Amino acid sequence: MRPLKKFIEDFEASMEEVEPGALSAETEFKGLKSWDSLAILTVTDTVEFEYGVLLRKDDFTDSVTLAQLYHLIEAKLGA
Amino acid sequence: MPQSSFNKAVVTAIVTCVPPCEKRIDDEIELFGGNVKQIERIKKTIGLNKRRVVDKQTTALDLCELAALQLLADTGIDLTTIDAVLCVTQTPDHLQPCNAAILQGRLGLSPHCAAFDVGLGCSGYVYGLWLGHMMIQAGSCKRVLILAGDTLSRLVHSKDRAVAPLFGDGGSATLLECSEVERGAWFNLGTDGSGVPHLIVPAGGARLPLSNATNVAREDESGNFRSDENLFMDGAEVFNFSIQVVPASVRATLKFAGVEPDEVDYFVFHQANRYILSNIAKRLKIDTTKVPMQTVERYGNQSSASIPSAMCGELREVLCGDDVQRVLLSGFGVGLSWGSALLEIGQLSVCKVIEYERA
Repeated sequence: MRPLKKFIEDFEASMEEVEPGALSAETEFKGLKSWDSLAILTVTDTVEFEYGVLLRKDDFTDSVTLAQLYHLIEAKLGA
Repeated sequence: MPQSSFNKAVVTAIVTCVPPCEKRIDDEIELFGGNVKQIERIKKTIGLNKRRVVDKQTTALDLCELAALQLLADTGIDLTTIDAVLCVTQTPDHLQPCNAAILQGRLGLSPHCAAFDVGLGCSGYVYGLWLGHMMIQAGSCKRVLILAGDTLSRLVHSKDRAVAPLFGDGGSATLLECSEVERGAWFNLGTDGSGVPHLIVPAGGARLPLSNATNVAREDESGNFRSDENLFMDGAEVFNFSIQVVPASVRATLKFAGVEPDEVDYFVFHQANRYILSNIAKRLKIDTTKVPMQTVERYGNQSSASIPSAMCGELREVLCGDDVQRVLLSGFGVGLSWGSALLEIGQLSVCKVIEYERA
C-alpha cells in the first residue's frame, strides 16, 4: 500500500481549494472548507482507483483525521 | 450470469425525440442557496449544464410515439411487417395497460403484433435490445420496434439538489431487423437488488398507494425536499455502484466476444453525467474520444433514452456511414440493474434527434 505521506498528497489532489502540502496526518478533514458531498465523490474515486478500496459514507463519518482514514483503508485492504 | 451472443439481428434505424423546453443550471441559483461558486464546481466537476424537460401534459409515451412515427416515415417500412413492439420505461402512462399496447394502437400496427413493456430505467435499453435479439434469433420475429423513454423530470422535487438538476426527458425508437448477412451481438447483464433503496420512487405502486400523506414533501438532513411520490437518489451509492459494476461488465462482455478494448470503435455509456463517464473510461483505460459524453450536458440524464440519444446526437455520421462499427453499449441504474452489449452496427438508414411537437 502507498505510504501515509503519499495518501495525504492524493487526498490534497482530490480536493478543491487545498494547496499541496497544506494538510497533515492530523488534519481533521471534515472541517475543511471545501469538504462537501462533491468532495466525498472525488476522494472516494481516488481511493478506489489508487488503493482498490471502496469507502462508504460511514467510513467518512467514523474517521476524524487523515491518519485515521488512511488506517481504515489499510484495514479494509487487509480484510 | 446471462451472457449470450446472437448473429441474426441488426439495428437498422434509430430516432430520439427530446422536448423543446430547455432548463439551465445557471438559472437555478436559488436552488443552491445563491451559491454561484457551488454551481461552477458542479458544472466543472460533475459536468451538469443543460437539460430538456417535458410540460405536464407530455409523457414518455408521447415522445416515443413521435420518435416511432419519424422512424416509420423515414424508413418507409410496411407497418404490417412489425412483429413485436416493446416499450422500455419506468414512467408509463398508466399502471395498466402497458405503453406498448397503447402504441400498437396509436401507430396502427398489425393485430398480430406482440406488445409488452420492460420495467427498467437506465439499464433498460440494453435489455430491450437483448430481448429483441432473442426474439429474432428464435425465428419468432423479423422486425422488432424497441421504444425506450422516460420523463424523470416529472418525478423529481424541484427543491432536491441531488436529482432536480440531473434529469432530462427523452423518448426513442429503434428498429431491429432480421439480417441477411451475419452480424454479431454479445450481451452481459446483471442485477443487485440490495441496491433498491438507492434509487427509488417509494409511492404510487401497490406497496404504497398514493394518498394525502405520500404527497407531503419533507426536508432531509441536507436541506433537500421530497415526498414519497418523488424520485430519491443516493448519489454517492450510485456513483460507487457505477465505477465498480460498469467496468467489470464491459470487460466481461469484451472477453466473451473475444474482442480487445482497442478493437472497439465507440463506447456508448448511459449518459449519467460526465464525472461518472470519465471515471468509467479511466478505469477501462479507454480513449475518451471513443466515449460520447456531450449528450448528458445537452439534454440531461434521459434514463432509458440516453443511449439511443447519444448514438443519434453524437455518432450519427459514423453510424450512417458505410463501415460497420463495433459499438459497446452499457446501461446502469435503478434496480440496481446493468447491461452491456457489443454490437456490430452501421449503414443505418436513419439516426437522428428530433424535437417534440404536439400533434
